[in-house]
Parts: sequence; structure tokens; C-alpha cells
Amino acid sequence: MTIVSDSPVHSSSSDDFASFLDAELATSTSDSSADEEGDEEENLESKRVKRRKVEVLEILEEVQDSTARVETSKEEAICAHPGSFGGMCIICGQRVAEEAGVAIAYIHKGLRLDSPELVRLRNADMKNKLNQKKLHLILDLDHTLLNSTMLFHMTSEEDYLKSNADSLQDIQNGSLFMLEHMRMMTKLRPYVRQFLKEANEMFEMHIYTMGDKPYAREMAKLLDPGDQYFNDRIISRDDGTQKHQKGLDVVLAEESAVLILDDTENAWTKHRENLILMERYHFFASSCQQFGFRCKSLSLLKSDESDTDGALASVLRVLKRVHSMYFDEDPRDAPSNRDVREFLKSVRKEILQGCRIVFSRVFPTSFPPESHQLWKMAEQLGATCLVEVDLSVTHVVANDPNTEKSRWATNETKYLVHPQWIEATYYLWQRQVEDKYPVNQSKSQ
Amino acid sequence: MFFHITLERNMQLHPRHFGRNLRENLIAKLMKDVEGTCSGRHGFVVAITGIENVGKGLIRDGTGFVTFPVKYRCVVFRPFKGQILEAVVTMVNKMGFFAEAGPVQIFVSNHLIPDDMEFQSGDMPNYTTSDGSVKIQKDSEVRLKLIGTRVDATEIFCIGTIKDDFLGVINDPTTA
Ligand SMILES: [Mg+2]
Ligand SMILES: [Zn+2]
Repeated sequence: MTIVSDSPVHSSSSDDFASFLDAELATSTSDSSADEEGDEEENLESKRVKRRKVEVLEILEEVQDSTARVETSKEEAICAHPGSFGGMCIICGQRVAEEAGVAIAYIHKGLRLDSPELVRLRNADMKNKLNQKKLHLILDLDHTLLNSTMLFHMTSEEDYLKSNADSLQDIQNGSLFMLEHMRMMTKLRPYVRQFLKEANEMFEMHIYTMGDKPYAREMAKLLDPGDQYFNDRIISRDDGTQKHQKGLDVVLAEESAVLILDDTENAWTKHRENLILMERYHFFASSCQQFGFRCKSLSLLKSDESDTDGALASVLRVLKRVHSMYFDEDPRDAPSNRDVREFLKSVRKEILQGCRIVFSRVFPTSFPPESHQLWKMAEQLGATCLVEVDLSVTHVVANDPNTEKSRWATNETKYLVHPQWIEATYYLWQRQVEDKYPVNQSKSQ
Repeated sequence: MFFHITLERNMQLHPRHFGRNLRENLIAKLMKDVEGTCSGRHGFVVAITGIENVGKGLIRDGTGFVTFPVKYRCVVFRPFKGQILEAVVTMVNKMGFFAEAGPVQIFVSNHLIPDDMEFQSGDMPNYTTSDGSVKIQKDSEVRLKLIGTRVDATEIFCIGTIKDDFLGVINDPTTA
């Protein structure tokens, strides 16, 4: 820290300073120990409060003859303290309880807002968004938009990646980055650039990651080198109000206008209806291993997800649908009645509309079938799930072609499909061609 | 406000620093310990400008450390409630804006931004009057009034307002 030559040095004597301080602080205690500042200001504060109380009493007495005076004094005396910064009310500057309200730490350290103020800000934001024809989109990082690995977790077969990393001088045109200072490599998911560019037209975008703040900022730089998309809306694990959970309570947006992209459903237990669950993007071997997959990673196969038919391209089509349903269709409906959660549900329900599905030995016998993930996925996709076969059934889902129901399906020329058919349909938001998901003997083990 | 004042501090020095460079070591340690720190009473210590006096050292039993009372002159910065301050905007969002004046972080909530200025989101968020003539965005210079200050060990927080006469933008980065 250096002083600029023309900085206004108002005083050149410590005596001036002392007298100024004494006047300002209005109380004087024995010595000049710095620790006592807090007490002094508190004393001052309580004096102010007392003075104000006296004023209020006076006002009450004068209430009959002077309404004008009441108006002005009231304004000064009554502040709801809707939020605080550094422990001071954001409106009146008074000291307030440090723990009041919700910490909005990702915007700025020391900033807290109470719930009426959050409601006010969300309302104001909603008006703004309706004018701009924009909604909110919350984006997870790992396995949703990108995949990262620590360098020491990389296998020797992955060494070729290190020499193929893209330049950090030209981030916009790269997708594989070596971040030596973080001892990491990061691979962006195919199509992510186009996805962000188009989504930005329809949504105000936020990052919300379980990673820490430095990681979140570093990834934001890779995804948004021009700093056009995220601004200060980068939320990391230390900014949430609950451990291991993500929540919309720190997001300044109406829940009815928020869509979330994440590969971890359990992070959003309170907001499942806003969630578009993403198929995990595993590029590095360490990532597959972490999730217990024994198959070869994309990095080892020297391959990648499809650019134009991959998860992000599919989801972008869904986002466009929901956005246009919200803003373009049904203009009779008042904006305040619209809810992205309802639109999302109805888009999903169209996908397997009319399908009647029976599962054959897919779930453990003791397991209640209707609480199984695949059953729930199928129902959300609009299919009807049945326990027993009848002629109305259209699909039998099985791992084994020789179960009774599988053979029935073959004889009755119904679709016999592998469970992955449902998962792929769910993640890609499109009914997949059944023939691509046959039930083979080899797959049954 | 800036002040040039004399402060005193008891410096503890390890015996390994004794010898010809004792005084230099003492000053170097003083600068390291004090510059850039805050105290509630004096504010932010910007720079040490000179040593007035180094008192007699007192050897501490058992450790061999010596305590020297050092009187030094320094420039400090302390904001006051009611003070008018010029600051640079660092961040604008729907809650208001943050500004910086040296070590001081100031928050101006949108309650304390004139009602005719409206928030505009986008890649350069800003508050703009309806006729577009006045705009506050990142890097704008603003004149504001402090209505609350708090000095911590390392940081100074302030609440500011621009909802008053003669307050607001003094330099717009887009027209500079
Ligand atoms: Mg994730
Ligand atoms: Zn208040």
C-alpha cells in the first residue's frame, strides 16, 4: 500500500487526530488501547437508542397536534433492518445481530439478507426477467458441464493428454486444459460452448458447485473467458446454508422461474421439480473409477460424447421448449401463474406417452417396484407401468431374454428392451429406437 | 480521512536479531507487523513514515526475548460516519453496488440509490436513470456518504448512500 502524492492528508498532528477522535466517539475511557473501540461504539449505540426512545415518547404525546412531525420522525426511528453488511444494517447503518438472515457470501463476504428482503428482491427480479423474457438456469460443474482430474490420479495411458492440452491463451477455442497451479486437468463437455451461448439468450445463468470457491472461479474462467455469462453468480460449497445440499435459498430468483442442471439428484432434495437430471460426463479414468465403473473411460478410448446428439444438445432443446412455453404460449395465463416446474413435467410426460411397460426381473423381488428409479423414470416420461402382462402392454424391460415375460414379449411381438433404453430416453429427452437396446444373453450376466 | 500520527508499540525481538543490525531488524519487523492492519480506534495503517524513538529494551526472563517500546509515525486512514467519500465501484448487482476506497469496502444497497435509477442486468450490470443520462457500473467513480462504519482487525466495512444532493456518479468509465 502506498500513498498517492495528492492524497488529502487533513492533519499533520496526532493531537488533532486525538481531539477529533474524542469528539467523534464522545466518550473517553482511560487509555488508548485499540480493543476498547467496540465498547465505546456500543455505548454510543445504546445512547442513540435511548435518545430515540425518548423521541418516540415525545411523539406519542404530540400526536394530536403535529402529524407532520410524526411522519418524519417515524421514518428515522423505525427501520426493519432488512439486511446487513459487516454487521451493520444496509439501510440505517446501525449495528445489528451478526447472525440475522441468510448469508449471501458468494456475492460478498459479510453480506446477509432477511427473508422479507429476499422476497422483495426476488419479486423485483421477476419483473425484470419478464421484461427481458429470461428465466434462471443453475448449472452444476462436475460431470454436468465438465470433468476434472487431479494430475496424480491420471494413468500412464492418459499421458498423451498432457501434451495435447489446449492453450490457456486461447481458452474460447479449447476444451482440454492443463491447470498446473491447481495440479489438475479439465475437459469441457462437448457442445458446452454452443450450449452456454444459446442458453444465455434465454436465461440468467448461475454456477452452483460442491467444489470450493477457487475451483469454481477457475472453472468459470474456462467456461466464460469473456466474462459474459456468470458475473458474480458463482456459488460454491461454502456458500450454501446446509451441508452436502444445494438450495435455492441463497439464489435471488423465484423458484417458479428456475431450472437446474445437475448430475446429482440428492444435492437438490428440496427442488427436485426444478431439476433436469444430467447423465454423468466421465472423461477421465479416475472419474469412472470414482463411480465404480469398470468400463474404459473416454480418455482411454480416445473418444468423446457426441457433439450434436449428446446430453447438452438434448437438454438445450428442452430448455428452448420450456422457455417458449413460458413466454410464447397461452398469453391468457397471467405471468404470476406460470411455473417452469409444470412445463418441465409436461414436456417430460410426452416422451413415452402411450407406452405400457412391464419389468421382468429387473428389480430385486423384495423391492417395492414403484419406488425403483427405473419405474419412476418411466412414469415421469409418461409411460404406464404394470406388474403383469396383458395385451395392452407395449414394452417388456428385462436383462434376460429367457424369462417368462421376455419370451411372452417375443411371441406377441412386443418390444423387448434393456433397462438402458429407459435411462437413455430419460437423459436424452427423446424416445430411443428400441432396436438399439436389445436384450442379449451376454448382457444378462 | 487520512491522518499522520504517532503511535507506540512494544516490539518483541528474538535474540538472534541482536547485533549490528538490531535497529534495522526492529524497523523491518514493525513494518511487517503493522502496515496493512487495522485497529478500531485508528483505522487502517497505510504506511510507517519514520521512527521517533526506540526505548530501552527489557529482557524477559527465561526466553531471552527483549521487548522494545517503539514510537513511530505513520499515515492512517479511518472512515467516519457522515463522511463524504469518493470511491470506485467494484461490483453491481440487484441488491445494490459495492465500492472501494483503498482498504475500505462500501456497500450501497438499492434502498439508498435514488428511486429513478433502475437496475439493468446483462453482462455489464448497472443502475441507470430512465433517460439513460446517468449510469453506475463497475469502475464508475462515485461520491457517497457513509452512514455506518466498522473497523475489524483486517478489514473496514462501511454502509454508504447516494440518495442525497450532490452524491452519485462523478466519473463514468464509458465516457472517459
Ligand atoms: Mg456434479
Ligand atoms: Zn436499519
